[in-house]
Amino acid sequence: MIQDTLLAFGAAVLQAGGMLAVAPLLKTAIKKMKARLQNRKGPPLLQGYYDLAKLLRKERVRSETASWIYVAGPRVYFAAAVAATTLVPVLYAGAPLEAAGGILLLVGTLALGRFALATAALDTGSPFGGMGASRDMTIAALAEPALMLGLFASALAAGSLSLGVMVRGLLQQGLAFHPSDLLAFAGLFIIVITETGRIPVDNPATHLELTMIHEAMVLEYAGPDLALVEWASALKELLYLTLLVDLFLPAGMATSVAPVALLVALLAWAGKIFVLAIFVTVAESTNAKLRLFRVPELVSVSLGLAFLALAIRFL
Amino acid sequence: MTVNVLILCAAGMLVSALLMVGQKALFTAIRLYGAQSLLLAIVAATIAISEGRHELLVTAALTVTLKAILIPWFLMRTVDRIGIHREIEPFLNVPASLLICLGLTVLGYRVSTGFQEGARGVSHHLIGVALSILLIGLFLMVTRRKAITQILALLTVENAVFLVAVGVTTGMPLIVELGISFDVILAVLILGILVHRIVDRFESMDVSRLSNLKG
Repeated sequence: MIQDTLLAFGAAVLQAGGMLAVAPLLKTAIKKMKARLQNRKGPPLLQGYYDLAKLLRKERVRSETASWIYVAGPRVYFAAAVAATTLVPVLYAGAPLEAAGGILLLVGTLALGRFALATAALDTGSPFGGMGASRDMTIAALAEPALMLGLFASALAAGSLSLGVMVRGLLQQGLAFHPSDLLAFAGLFIIVITETGRIPVDNPATHLELTMIHEAMVLEYAGPDLALVEWASALKELLYLTLLVDLFLPAGMATSVAPVALLVALLAWAGKIFVLAIFVTVAESTNAKLRLFRVPELVSVSLGLAFLALAIRFL
Repeated sequence: MTVNVLILCAAGMLVSALLMVGQKALFTAIRLYGAQSLLLAIVAATIAISEGRHELLVTAALTVTLKAILIPWFLMRTVDRIGIHREIEPFLNVPASLLICLGLTVLGYRVSTGFQEGARGVSHHLIGVALSILLIGLFLMVTRRKAITQILALLTVENAVFLVAVGVTTGMPLIVELGISFDVILAVLILGILVHRIVDRFESMDVSRLSNLKG
């Protein structure tokens, strides 16, 4: 019993560490592909790591009016993102801390991180922080139910809220699609774009006050605090893409801990994440940023698709 | 495998119809229609290969050339020439129309179980999706003001009917299919000219202004 628990924690640490190590690479890869589409050369693939190293070496700069909430914000955000990665199956068809909870805990953990960052943004009283926080929450209030509905559509097919059970069920039944799968995928893909602050919703490369959402929230942060936020955001992006892979095409995942199976699973996972990253890049390059007041329309489309995915399962 | 391709393509058509409801840019709507027609062609080609009905390959080829390439190109040219790119004010806003379309989709799916073939398997999904797209198309036709969107809605309805004809029945004679295809292309051409006339007269594509003509 104790051995099992230790094993689970060991796997959780390994998985979280691995995901943390890969996350900056994904972010830079998307940046690079986007640059290529615009006929630019783009940053070197390791730029994400250089940026993090640079930020971590800098000294802390904090506003005099900031309270402990400001200090806690990035830390809770980072911790929540790391905790969430241990709840999702990545290589092995089962999450390390599967016993802790399923999709409800996952969504809740991510919401906790968002809450911490939004409160921290309000803490210094700078107008940008408040604006960013209110925008982020406006969108999140719509995106979160859509995320839940999309996840529930898959949970309904598996008959369980646990991600591990869902993935194992999908692996067992092989390639057999239901129309609701595609609807849920389309809905969740829009949510991924929304939650990771990509272009139709938010622009990760701008500090223009009229349009920024996520960047406005973290405008006050510098040095190691900013590094934590950036790293956690990259991790969240990788996490969402992994979630899509898990729920809609888990083929290739390891069902045993044999080294060969894990290696195959690693290659399959990397390949699938890469393909999804191409999707994200194309979506970001071919769309113009939406006006803020039109964003709820986009999110309501994904809410509709996710709802329909759930409803069609019953018909 | 065949079943998976059919189901994914049908679901893709439904998603494209819903996305058409969810946004207002005319170019995107035209591209979505092109993608939808392409998926329809894939459905036809898959059935042609898996069931050995080779005449369906002709249907698929016709669908690709006419509905996925020619008609979208013609409509985009029309939009480009008249220089009106957005559906500014539909009669219903996006969230409300989406809600109604959700209801229509559920209704279409529910009704499909009433057909003898519609109660099970792939044809359940094909009929369900087709009925849903049909209802969504009709809904778009009555709630949008721009003539181009209404043409697209009409074409979407036609796609839905085609999906049932190809996917569930034993198919139409080739001559009928050719006739329908030419009907569609003629309809689009005439409607395109009509759009030009409407824009010339009213300097807007808003068909609700046509009622100004009443004496």
